[in-house]
Amino acid sequence: MQRAKALRISPVGVRGIVGPGLTVTHALDFAAAFGTLLATDGPVLLGRDPRSSGNMLRAAATSALLACGRDVIDLGIVSTPVIQHAIRRRNAAGGISLGASHNAAEWNALKFLGPAGTYLASSEAGELLDIYHLKKFAFVDWHQIGKLSTADDAIETYLDDLERVFDFARLRQFRVVVDCCNGTSSTILERVRERFAWPLILINARLEGAAFAHEPETSARMVGSQLGPLIQPLAADAGFLFDADADRVACATSRGEALSEELILPLVADGQLAKFPGRLVLTNLSTTALVDEVARRRGGEVIRVPVGRQAAIDALSGYRPEQIALAGEGTGAIMLPQFRFVYDGIAAMLMVLTIMADRGQALHEIAGSFPRYSMLKGEVPLKQMRIPQLYSELRDAFGHQGRADTLDGLRVDWPEQWFHVRVSQTEPLVRVICEAQGDPPQALFDGLMEQVRRLA
Amino acid sequence: MSKREHLLKIGVSGIRGVVGGFLTPGLACEFAQAFGTYVEQGRVVLGRDTRSSGEMLENAVTAGLLAAGCEVIQVGVLPTPTIQMYVAAIGAAGGIALTASHNPPEYNALKLFNHAGLFFNHYERAELLDLYHQSDFYQATNEEMRGVQVHADRPMALHLERVLRHVDLDLIRARRFRVALDGVNGAGSRMSVHFLRDVLGCDLHAISVDPTQVFPREAEPRPDTLGDLAALVRREHCDIGFGQDPDGDRLAVCDETGHVIDNDDVLALVSDAALERVEGDVVVNLTTSSVIDAVAARHGRRVFRTPVGEANVVEGMQSVRTAIGGEGSNGGVIFPSVHLCRDSYTGMAFLLNRLASSPGTVSERVAALPSFFRRSGKVAFEHGRLGPLMQSLEAAYPDADTNRSDGLKLTFADGWIHVRASNTEPLLRIAAEATTAARAEQLQSAVERLLRG
Repeated sequence: MQRAKALRISPVGVRGIVGPGLTVTHALDFAAAFGTLLATDGPVLLGRDPRSSGNMLRAAATSALLACGRDVIDLGIVSTPVIQHAIRRRNAAGGISLGASHNAAEWNALKFLGPAGTYLASSEAGELLDIYHLKKFAFVDWHQIGKLSTADDAIETYLDDLERVFDFARLRQFRVVVDCCNGTSSTILERVRERFAWPLILINARLEGAAFAHEPETSARMVGSQLGPLIQPLAADAGFLFDADADRVACATSRGEALSEELILPLVADGQLAKFPGRLVLTNLSTTALVDEVARRRGGEVIRVPVGRQAAIDALSGYRPEQIALAGEGTGAIMLPQFRFVYDGIAAMLMVLTIMADRGQALHEIAGSFPRYSMLKGEVPLKQMRIPQLYSELRDAFGHQGRADTLDGLRVDWPEQWFHVRVSQTEPLVRVICEAQGDPPQALFDGLMEQVRRLA
Repeated sequence: MSKREHLLKIGVSGIRGVVGGFLTPGLACEFAQAFGTYVEQGRVVLGRDTRSSGEMLENAVTAGLLAAGCEVIQVGVLPTPTIQMYVAAIGAAGGIALTASHNPPEYNALKLFNHAGLFFNHYERAELLDLYHQSDFYQATNEEMRGVQVHADRPMALHLERVLRHVDLDLIRARRFRVALDGVNGAGSRMSVHFLRDVLGCDLHAISVDPTQVFPREAEPRPDTLGDLAALVRREHCDIGFGQDPDGDRLAVCDETGHVIDNDDVLALVSDAALERVEGDVVVNLTTSSVIDAVAARHGRRVFRTPVGEANVVEGMQSVRTAIGGEGSNGGVIFPSVHLCRDSYTGMAFLLNRLASSPGTVSERVAALPSFFRRSGKVAFEHGRLGPLMQSLEAAYPDADTNRSDGLKLTFADGWIHVRASNTEPLLRIAAEATTAARAEQLQSAVERLLRG
C-alpha cells in the first residue's frame, strides 16, 4: 500500500515521490507521449519548481520532446501560471510544468498544458495515457530532431499581462507580507518589488531544492502557524502564503488571523461580480454555500461541477469567457477570465488587494461583512466497495425534504445547511462535508459520520 | 548470410545505434542510469560530438545519471580525447562521450570511460551490462539528488596544455607552417582552429569547421573521403593537411602534394618523432603495417601486438612500458604521456614538431619509410564461417608464425595475412601485407580462394 501511494498516474498528469515512486523513466515516457500527442506546430515550453529532482525531470522531458522533433524552450524555475501565460504569448504547441505544487519536497510531478495554456481536457488526457501505456512514440529521424533553447523573459511578460488588469500603483499602498514557501512565487514577487517599486516583505523567499521551510500547503492551519504571527509585528495590511508553484494562495488579515481557505473564492467572486454583474461562478460541489449567497446578492449564478480540476477544466470549455466571473475551488485555487482561466495564486492575491482598495476596507472588515457559515469536514477509510449502496442508504436516511444532487457522490441541500459525501479520487477514503449558516451543524455531521463508518 | 540490419548494438563496446526508432532517449537514459549505479553516485563527465542527436541524448543521459544520484559535469561539444583527459584531471568517477566516431550521422553511441578516463575494460563492460540487464538501478530521492555543472573552457585548455608539454612550441611557431584542415564540422572544429592558428601559429586554411552544420563528407577520414582537403592543400600550397573524424580522435594526413598518406605511415611518422623523445616500446594492433616494426627497430625498441580495438591496444599499453601506441589502419595515435587514448591533437603537434626540427617535406619523409604493399577486403559475416577459414589457412601455411588472439594472423618472412571478425559491424575483415605488390596480391587471393571453399 505504501508503495502504491508513492506514484499516481491520472488524467491531470503523473505525480509521485521521486525514487520509490516517480522515476526518470516515467518522466521520459510521459514527455514522449505528450510529444506524440501534440497536434499543433510550435515549440514546447518547460518550467520547473525549485525541487532538486526538477533538474532530472527537466533533462528527461527535454530529451523526449527533442526526440519527437519538438523544439524545447526552457523557462527555468518559474511558476505554472507563468508557463501558461508564456505558451499563449509564444504560440507554443504546449508546455510541461515540472513541480508538485502543495506536496512536500520529496514529491514531484509533470503537468501537461495544451496550446491555449490550459490543462488538457479529459479526452486529450485520456489519449495521452493511452499513448503512454502503448509506448509507441513518434520519434523522428536524426535530421528532424528538435533544438533546445532557454528564455529568461517569461516572468517579465507575465507581469506585463498582470499589469494590464491590476493597478500596481494603487496596490502599492498596502504593506504586504508574503510567505513564498521557498517556491516559485518568490522569483515573481522579487521582480514585482523592483519593477513596481512595491516593498513587499518576502519570507521563505530562497529557492530550496531539498527541503522547504514548511509544507507548501495553502490552508488556514498553515497560515495560522507560520504567517499569522508575523503580521502584527510587521504592521502589515495583509499576509499571503503560496504553494511551491504559486497556483494556490491562502491569506491572513492585518490582525494576524488566518482567513479560511474557503473564503478566498467568495471574496474574489464578490469583487468580480461587482465588476461583471450577472456572470457565472463555476465551482465544485464541496465549496461553501457562501458563494451562493454572494452570487445572489450580486445577481450572479453558481454552477457546481464534480470535485477535481479536470471537471472544472472540462466544464469551462462549454462557456464563452465573458460568461464567467471566475472559477475555482475551496482550496484557494481560482481562475479568472481576464487571464483565460489559469489557476493563479498571484492573480488571486492581487484581486483580494484590489477589493480592499476599492472598498477602502481592511480584510477582516470585508470578511466580516459576509454572513457566517460553519463547515465540518471528516473522512472515513473505504473498506467495502459498496459505493452505490452507500449513497442510496444515506439518501434514504438523510435526504428527506432536501434537494439531492448525485453528480459526484451525494449532495443534499436544505435552505440553511447542506452536506456532501463522496469517495475520494486519489485515496481510498470517503469524504464528508457539512455546512450550515451560523453555528456548525454538529448533529448532522455526527449522524452522517456514524452512518458512513457503518457503510463504508 | 545475416539479413538482419544492425541498427542497434548493445554490447561490450557500449550502446550504439541509429537514432529515431532504435537508439531512443529511453534506452540512453536507462544505460546512463545503469552507468550511474555502477559508478556509485559519483561525479560523471558528459560530453558529445556535433551530431544533431547530441543534445537530445545529452539530456537523456543527464536525466539517467541524475536519477542514479550522480553529479553531472557537462562539458558540451568536445573531442573524445579531451573528455577522457578531463575525467582523469578532475578525479571524476567516470565519463560518457556521446559520439558514434566515424559512423554516419544517423548513428550515435555512448562511449564509456572509467575514473582514469580510459575505455571500460572487459570486466568493467561486462559488469555494467549485467547491471543494465538486471534493470535494478539506483533511484535517488529528492534529498539525494545532485545537480548539473557546466565546465565550458577548462577541458580544452587542459588537453592542449598536456600536448604542448611534449613539443617545442617556439620552434613550431617560428616556422609559421601553411596548414590545411578538414574538421568535418565535428567536435574538434573550434578547438582545432584555435590550436593550429592561435597556439601553434600556423597559417591555417580550414574547411568544415562549423560545429552547427552537418558532416559535409563521409565521417571517416580516408583518402577517398578527403578530396576537398587534398584540393585545398594544392590550392593554398600548404606544407601539410589534417583531416579529423567527428569526435577528434582519428587523424588523417595529406602531404604537400595533395596526396593523402596511408594511415599506417602516419602512425610510423608520429612514432618516429615520439621515440626520439621518450623511452619505451611500441604497442599496435595485429592489423597495423609492418612499417612500424622498421621504425621501432631503427630506435632499438620492441613492438607488441594486440587484438584490434582501441580498448585492447590501451590494455596492451598498460602491461608494458610503452612510448607510443596506436592502430595504424584506423588512423589513431596513442601517446601515453598525454593520455592513454587516441588523440588527433598529439598527432598534429608531433608531425609539425618533426617538420620543424629536421629538414624534408612530408612526402620526402614518407618516401624514406620502408614500403610495404597492403591488400585488404571485407565480406559479410556469417556465423560459423571464421573458424573453418582459420583452420584451412593454417593448414595451407604450416610454416608461418601464428597468432590467434584476434581471428588468425599468419606471419611469414616477407609478409602476413590477418583474418578477423569486425568488432562493430557484421563483417569478416581480411588483410594481407608483403614487401612486394605481387606477394601481397598472392596472399590476398589465396585467402579469397579458401573463402570460396
